[in-house]
Amino acid sequence: MIIDIVVITFVVMGLVLFSVGTLGILRLPDAYTRMHAAGKLDTLGSICLLFGLALWQGRHFDLAHLIVAAKILLILVFVSFASPTATHDMVDAGMRAGIIPWRKGDKRR
Amino acid sequence: MKAISLIAVLLAGIALVYTTSDFPAWGDPESPASLHVSNLYIEQSYEKTHTPNVVTSVLADFRGFDTMFETIVVFTAAMACFFILRRSREECVLEHYYYRHIATGLVVRMPGACATPTQGAFEQIDSDWTPQDIVVSTVCRLLIPFMQIYAFYVLAHGHYSPGGGFQAGVVMAASYLLLALSHDLRFVIARFSERLMHILAAAGVTIYVGTGFIALTTGANFLDYGGLAGLLRMPLASGHSLGILLVETGVALTVCSALIMIFKLVSSQGTINEGL
Repeated sequence: MIIDIVVITFVVMGLVLFSVGTLGILRLPDAYTRMHAAGKLDTLGSICLLFGLALWQGRHFDLAHLIVAAKILLILVFVSFASPTATHDMVDAGMRAGIIPWRKGDKRR
Repeated sequence: MKAISLIAVLLAGIALVYTTSDFPAWGDPESPASLHVSNLYIEQSYEKTHTPNVVTSVLADFRGFDTMFETIVVFTAAMACFFILRRSREECVLEHYYYRHIATGLVVRMPGACATPTQGAFEQIDSDWTPQDIVVSTVCRLLIPFMQIYAFYVLAHGHYSPGGGFQAGVVMAASYLLLALSHDLRFVIARFSERLMHILAAAGVTIYVGTGFIALTTGANFLDYGGLAGLLRMPLASGHSLGILLVETGVALTVCSALIMIFKLVSSQGTINEGL
């Protein structure tokens, strides 16, 4: 019962983070700020969501379910490495390509 | 203009939703999709093919020819890419190339030097070279081995889980593309040469077709993996899974090398020398 509430909290938190990230991609003014929203919120959103799912699998506490939970945790580790690096690389590529960051008062790009 | 496109999108959406009412109900046994062969696939899949997974049995047994020609299509695409895009080694695309003296870090510009062999104290660098980004290269070094292990995992579990050859090949190719992105194109070519790529792409198709012919030699039908069991004196189910493993290996080899080949050719304008 308690674990249900914890899992639901994590999954809903992940979904909220994903929605805010999407909102950020749509509303923020330039590539760097959009990347900021996408990188941070998508990473944290997937971590919350996957952790909730791993807990949901781990609630039975037998071998088959724990293996699935461990696999989900491995995906979590992979995402937490790969997603910030991808964001970093794209921002880096933008800086090298000479895209000027947006400043307050500039036009939306 | 915005209002018109919004209306157009809304109308298209309404039309799409409206047409869904003509679709058969979910899981309707009378729907056209479940009237012909799908019942046979579902009912007789296990006893006919001894494969625990219906997706794989459809992919590798019932539609073995389909998968074989898909692999040949991938191979043909890579070959077409090669013949259309590849430039001869002598042809210069850029007017100059850059070389770096490894000991001192001095960069030399060589005008008119086409793909001079890089050996000894100098190494070739890209014309838009900037110092290596340490975050990306470190994370790629951490992740690439796991990606490749995962590719082999997907390949080896081909007959148990949906997926197999195509997916394993794509994951494997993605790991090499990541290597190219985090270092440079020559770094990948040093590890996976052009000659090896062509040999593997052709070998994949050969393995697939060869498995079919081996089955033919034992009196079974073309691509009927039960023939392998008779040849090696093993249980029928093991023969089937061995045949599927062989076939999936062929598919994975072709897909992996074809994807890397296309990536290298497109990103380097056909020179396989400097790209991205």
